[in-house]
Amino acid sequence: MAAGDAFTAAQRHEIDKAIRDAETLSRIEFSVFVGRSEGETRPFAERLHSTLVAPDRSVLVLVDPAARILEIVTGVTAHRVLDDAEAELAALTMQSAFAEGDLVGGITRGVQQLAEHGRRPAVLHE
Amino acid sequence: MDQTGLGILVPVTNRPSNPRVRRAARVLALVPALLVTSATGVAFAEPPATWENTPPVSGLHVVLLLVMVPLALLALITLLVCLPSMSKGETYHPGQPWRGESEWFGGPRTGLEAVDSAVPPALTTSGPTRGGASGRW
Repeated sequence: MAAGDAFTAAQRHEIDKAIRDAETLSRIEFSVFVGRSEGETRPFAERLHSTLVAPDRSVLVLVDPAARILEIVTGVTAHRVLDDAEAELAALTMQSAFAEGDLVGGITRGVQQLAEHGRRPAVLHE
Repeated sequence: MDQTGLGILVPVTNRPSNPRVRRAARVLALVPALLVTSATGVAFAEPPATWENTPPVSGLHVVLLLVMVPLALLALITLLVCLPSMSKGETYHPGQPWRGESEWFGGPRTGLEAVDSAVPPALTTSGPTRGGASGRW
């Protein structure tokens, strides 16, 4: 991973922690890409998603601050617990934070919200 | 009863039968309030003779207290609001071009090189699919 100057060490740690917490909460793998997308954003985000270790149970969040575009890709298994409307809600949260210039806060809150929606309620009968 | 069901609305909407009664009732309701408020006399009060006379306040003192103190508070609050983002070293400001390098949290070890060598996902039209959302700001 290229260590760019986009984030300070503390900010990087904050995002890492948000991802770890989200994974613990929801049992979904989270991955956040911040940077310029190559070509069309959505296909690029889906390509990034498919290179993850377990794409089916992963959620990829792509943030392109230069183009001001945000993409959330949910894998097949993750999509079952996290539908598109819930992803849209998290996207709105992130957009409003990004519009205020709070990149790190938007990412951490968005990931947290995705995890809370993707958290499967405890099943008492099966 | 007509078929549209609108006929049922007729007995519900009651028309004012007698406007004179309503007007009289309104006046009657206002009279006690007016009586109570007008019955009281004007209150007069003088400072008790035992109170000591206050010394005259200089204009400079007034300006200092009523202008400088609020201004100082304003400056202090502004500083407190701005301090967190200043100390965090926010590098992203909306409206300015993004200069940072790409960063991938929780991505594969090889980073973006893996994307170039990845096989594009097969497009399936049936069965379970991926989902997600998009947004702009």
